[in-house]
Amino acid sequence: MTQLLGQTRELPTRLRASVTQRVEATRQWAHNYRSRTQDGAIAMHGAIFASVFVTFVLFLVASAWTVLPVLAFLVVMGFGWYRYQAEAAKALTFLTTVATVSILSLIIAFLLIRSEPIVAHMGLDVLTRIEQPLWTSNQGGVYSLTPMMVGTAVTTVIATLVAAPIGIAGAVFVSEIAPRRVREVVKPGIELMAGIPSITYGFIGLTILNQYFYEEFRTPTLGTYFAAGLMIGIMALPTVVTVAEDALNAVPESIKSGALAMGSTPWQTTKSVTIPAGLSGVSAGVLLGVGRAMGETMAATVMLTHTKGFPSPVFDVFSNYGETLTTVIAFEGGNASGLHMSALFAGGVVLFAMVMMLSVGSQYVEWRMHQKLGGER
Amino acid sequence: MSNTEAVHEPSEPAQQLTTTGESDERVREEWTEYDFAGDAKLAVEDLDVYYGDEQALQSISLDVPEESVTALIGPSGCGKSTFLRCLNRMNDRVKSARIDGSVQLDDEEIYTDGVNLVELRKRIGMVFQEPNPFPKSIRDNISYGPRKHGDLDTGLLARVLGRDDREQEADLVERALRRAALWDEVEDRLDDNALGLSGGQQQRLCIARALAVDPDVILMDEPASALDPIATAKIEDLIEELAEDYTVVVVTHNMQQAARISDQTAVFLTGGELVEYGDTDQIFENPESQRVEDYITGKFG
Amino acid sequence: MSSVTRNRLVAGDSTTSVLVARGVLAASALAFFASWLVLFQWVDETALVAGVHVLKLLGVALVAAGVGLTVVGVGSRLEYFESTPSSSAGLPVGFVFGLLWAVLGGLVATRLLGNALAMWLPVAAGFGIVGLLVSVLPREDVGSTLPVAAILVLLGGYVVVGGINAGWTWSPSWSSAVFPGSELVPLLVVFGALLSAWSAAKAREGFGAEGRQSGAYYLVGSVVFAMLGVLALLVAFIVKNGLETMLTRTSLTGGHLTLPFVGSVPWAEFPFLMNQTGGLFVEVPGVLPAVMGTLWLVFGAVLFAVPLGIGAAVFLTEYAERGRFTQVVEVATNGLWSTPSIVFGLFGLAFLVPRISGGNSIFVGQLVLGFMLLPLVLITSREAILAVPDEHRDASAALGVTKWETIRSVVLPAAMPGTITGVILGVGRIAGETAPLLLVFGGSPYPSSYPNVLGSFQFSTQPPFVTNDALLSPASALPYQLYSTITAGVFPKEIFTNTEFGWGTALVLLCVVLGLYAIGVGSRLYFRRKLHHE
Repeated sequence: MTQLLGQTRELPTRLRASVTQRVEATRQWAHNYRSRTQDGAIAMHGAIFASVFVTFVLFLVASAWTVLPVLAFLVVMGFGWYRYQAEAAKALTFLTTVATVSILSLIIAFLLIRSEPIVAHMGLDVLTRIEQPLWTSNQGGVYSLTPMMVGTAVTTVIATLVAAPIGIAGAVFVSEIAPRRVREVVKPGIELMAGIPSITYGFIGLTILNQYFYEEFRTPTLGTYFAAGLMIGIMALPTVVTVAEDALNAVPESIKSGALAMGSTPWQTTKSVTIPAGLSGVSAGVLLGVGRAMGETMAATVMLTHTKGFPSPVFDVFSNYGETLTTVIAFEGGNASGLHMSALFAGGVVLFAMVMMLSVGSQYVEWRMHQKLGGER
Repeated sequence: MSNTEAVHEPSEPAQQLTTTGESDERVREEWTEYDFAGDAKLAVEDLDVYYGDEQALQSISLDVPEESVTALIGPSGCGKSTFLRCLNRMNDRVKSARIDGSVQLDDEEIYTDGVNLVELRKRIGMVFQEPNPFPKSIRDNISYGPRKHGDLDTGLLARVLGRDDREQEADLVERALRRAALWDEVEDRLDDNALGLSGGQQQRLCIARALAVDPDVILMDEPASALDPIATAKIEDLIEELAEDYTVVVVTHNMQQAARISDQTAVFLTGGELVEYGDTDQIFENPESQRVEDYITGKFG
Repeated sequence: MSSVTRNRLVAGDSTTSVLVARGVLAASALAFFASWLVLFQWVDETALVAGVHVLKLLGVALVAAGVGLTVVGVGSRLEYFESTPSSSAGLPVGFVFGLLWAVLGGLVATRLLGNALAMWLPVAAGFGIVGLLVSVLPREDVGSTLPVAAILVLLGGYVVVGGINAGWTWSPSWSSAVFPGSELVPLLVVFGALLSAWSAAKAREGFGAEGRQSGAYYLVGSVVFAMLGVLALLVAFIVKNGLETMLTRTSLTGGHLTLPFVGSVPWAEFPFLMNQTGGLFVEVPGVLPAVMGTLWLVFGAVLFAVPLGIGAAVFLTEYAERGRFTQVVEVATNGLWSTPSIVFGLFGLAFLVPRISGGNSIFVGQLVLGFMLLPLVLITSREAILAVPDEHRDASAALGVTKWETIRSVVLPAAMPGTITGVILGVGRIAGETAPLLLVFGGSPYPSSYPNVLGSFQFSTQPPFVTNDALLSPASALPYQLYSTITAGVFPKEIFTNTEFGWGTALVLLCVVLGLYAIGVGSRLYFRRKLHHE
């Protein structure tokens, strides 16, 4: 207890120390900057940053005068480029970097701001409500995202079940099994497949897959979670194959030779040396594929029925229900307003959070594997 | 070529000519016969290797005696590593390589249909230039080979059925590590990742890993070239010790190293030809070929 | 070391078992392909081949494969055939086989005892355990063949005796769909064929490590083959269906080209590419507005994203110290890269639309696609800059050249090829992007004119001094056109149906995107080759 008290008492001192350190470092930097940069260049930097800042503020308040600071920026930049090219270039590259970061921050900020009304109106019900009505403008507006979250989960699971095993098999084949000639054809082929637009997949799914399940398996409607998930899985395949194959290829040849020289067969080498060594990359590929499947919009929008509800049992993937977070935004976003629109933004927040979690998760997996393997090699 | 043939040939005129110190290069190149007592472990005859249109080895014939250290030296690009990789058929992995000729291990041809590559590489182990331990624990590195060959089973099934080989595994790991003079350094961290070891330790681990499958022959491709002098000395000591039980063939570009550790030396020169092969002492002190002498004394390109 | 076993260096061959195993492989391959033909409905499930129903033939193939596997496995166990099996097939194989047996047991129990969980679950579990034990306990040659053979013979036999035929259906209570025998049998045969090929490939190499390799390669190979087949079929399908629409009334000399001084000369006619989509006087509706829209979108996005991306990459690699700031940028870049496209659309809707055009517009579409392109440009150009060896920078610095001059004249030119490749691949990606366009870009489903951006600039004395109505109006783009065609009700012209027009649009879109990808991959090859020459 006394120890804790002591720590608490220490805290302000430590805080102050860290602040002074920060201030000292900044002062040092400022001193260096001033002594190494010409006065004119400093003025130019000031003018550039001021004009960019004013531009941003004016744009934010939607002023028609935004064009003025833009012109000022261009003039200062043009003059600076002519007079102090190195300094101007440095400032410009710094601005572009800041812009990149601020785009993500703006996305997060605007998603949150616009989804605030629905949360204020419904509270956590927006994420958890499972009673009827689920989605209506009556009764003052009830918009529950739960059915869409279930839909996203179901299609993502189906897509992953399709894409992960086949994708990894494909990566193993291309990187370890295929003879050189076959690889030279198959690899760019698969890369090319990754470029086919998702709306095209959706069109094929709509005209062929939906029809097939409707006629042969007598599904209650044209369009089911299963068909959509299957199509999304096929669509995510090339991504998984390409990323996982890169990871397997990056395993040093010397380790593979070592295993072969021990008398293990190529398959044993692949199974017990190459795949474990490249596991981080392979799982990153799978997670990337899952993220793509989750955020996939067009194929699902075109193929699903847009009926909101819960299949019973929940794994009845052939039911007449069909709506995911992405499809509801794409389908209704064009002509929604007020609370309805706010609910769609809330859906965007949920989607964004889930995909971010996957992205961070894959980076964490990679980092952990790196630690485990004992650093650089 | 087996050594009995070699014994039949000492009266060839070429051999007599060269003993007189004649400087005729064409005749001197015939001086690759090496007569030794005992059996040849590996017998190579008329081995040609082509990479595409380029000939990497020209008609190499060479017998390696049992339980000894044979050094292969020569300038870079002379084909000595290619030759080494022919001995356990690692060159099979190079798609453009074409190999003619014969290599026999204990009088059994290894370049013929139906050769079990797994079995071949169990008998002829290999250590590479860069240490290449698997990114696994030290223990798993050693037991990798026996496990893959079905001689050790410590899997879940074996444990359930009571066929667990944990004791054999521990025993094998200890013996292999002791033999490679690494046991004392890693005894208490067998479950640590092998990539955490120093370069020299990693290389000895790779040697221990090769020993764990109980080979007859160990091929080493410049095993110390990536290491510091102290680690190199340890590896050299180890090689000399290993020669008591194993047939060691070692490629090196370091002539002092070859002189220190090997019993016999084969000198390859540019273009993939074997110029001279004989007792290490004789090669370094009194080479028959002018070109070998030039190479050893540093006059060669 | 003493615990090591030794086998013969040169193996003997046992031709009989290899022959049988090859036979099983052939039967499996045949059944595999035939099942796909039935599944794709290229062969009718009630068709007769040599007087026998197709489904029954599939059953016969399974039974034959099962019998063959039994012969090889038992023959190897009784040492009739030479082989090198391990002591057990191993737990993973055991689990796969156990699972299959459990499914089999469950199906049998539901058929015989009814659908109650308490009835079929114990039976399924019992079957599963038996399957597991039978695969794991005996030597590998028995364990990896007999469990499969039993399943194959049971399944195939049931089909052959007519237990399941094309008209048979299975409607489990948990599913809204009904599974007819006509689809279920080929589906089961596909899996059965994969299994038997796996086991037979093992047997062909005499089991052991070599056998397992052969089995795994067969399994992986057929899965990958099926995957490539499906992907190739998708492309072939679009081409086949779209080609007719796209080539409607094309001719090499049917059109006219008006040249100055010469007058009108015969010229190639390509109405689907050269015509408007809507409008009263259009005979053959085309996708010209969509093509122009896509071009403008891509142009704007590249203009926006490429300088930003390259600038940020230069700052990160050349100027910034590695620390908290670069880490934040890295996380932000990865975040942007994995953000779903529809979220970009929402952002554009909330942030850009009210501030720029007040409604859907080309300009907002360009910016949103630019946001999507930005992380890709940043990542690829950063990698390309990092790949420039430090020696080049040092050499330049050692000559007294300033940092910025070094970047401009040494680093950037060396990094250009990688960057260009990345940009092209990224453009291929955004050219096919649809979702954000629905929210911030798209206009009428059948536009009767294409955006005239260049001709719409107007200058005024009022801020913002320059306006461009075309840039601030909605338009169409190829992927958006495809979407609106699919979702719109009836196609306004009689010459095409909605679906036909859709296939045509899809083909044009595919050509544009895959063309960009091909250029990207090609330029990578070209630059690499050029690099090797120097």
